[in-house]
Amino acid sequence: ILDDPDLKDIDPTVLKHCHAAAATCILEAGKQKADISAISTCLEDCKLDKERIEQFCTEYQHRELVSVVSFSIGRSPLHITDVSWRLEYQIKNSQLHKTYQPSYLVTLNVENSDSGSHPDVSFSCTMEQLQDLVGKLKDAAKSLERATQV
Amino acid sequence: KLNIGVDIIEHGVEGLVYLLTESSKLMISEVDFQDSIHVLGFSDELNKSLLQLYLDNRKEIRSILGELAPRLPSYHSLEWRLDVQLASRSLRQQIKPAVTMKLHLNQNEDQTAQVLQTDPATLLHLIQQLEQALGEMKMNHCRRIVRNMK
Repeated sequence: ILDDPDLKDIDPTVLKHCHAAAATCILEAGKQKADISAISTCLEDCKLDKERIEQFCTEYQHRELVSVVSFSIGRSPLHITDVSWRLEYQIKNSQLHKTYQPSYLVTLNVENSDSGSHPDVSFSCTMEQLQDLVGKLKDAAKSLERATQV
Repeated sequence: KLNIGVDIIEHGVEGLVYLLTESSKLMISEVDFQDSIHVLGFSDELNKSLLQLYLDNRKEIRSILGELAPRLPSYHSLEWRLDVQLASRSLRQQIKPAVTMKLHLNQNEDQTAQVLQTDPATLLHLIQQLEQALGEMKMNHCRRIVRNMK
């Protein structure tokens, strides 16, 4: 905005204040999911003229991107984004020979809402344990399905 | 009671321990065990007792040795819960379903619990991926290897 030729006659500080005010207004309105009439009423109370209110509202309609960003801001526990697995068959180790044991190594890719990176959660499990895990996840999915049908 | 020096008993016990752990570790057959101790020149009766001792305790020794092998954190259990986020500081009036989970893992006798979260789409993806993993054990390739490795 500071480089815009149309605005170069205006004091940059005032420009910054205007920009901040407009941005705050849009964010607050978006946060409250206010509709056009609510915004118009609010702006009228602030003694803005009709033309300006209409322009503001038209621009406000294009606020989808802001909604998306607001939707994703916020704290939450580590978020699982993906899973990878490995099936191995152990033959022997330094303590024990002829182990002949299949095992799974499961890695859950996780994302931190703050810093964006976090060491992945890895663990090993037997086939029975993996079946237990999958069973529990399926229970959760079924509950979700039932909840959405209510 | 035995009227022998402490050193000799200590060496005797150590020798016995070594014999049993090495035999259990390698899972040697009865015949091999008998051949091995025959070299020591003990009486037949003693050899029989040693063999019986080996066979009786082999399983337990192997399970203890199994605990000593290097291990990754292993799966213990999973608890889950369905949440719906209704509002946050940056956005009101939401409906954001999520599944919150507590993954219990064992690492070298410590139990850790990690709280994780995922969205419905990722949950279904996790289930699909892990079911594929489980299916692998039943595939011909894995079956053939397990058969031939024994």
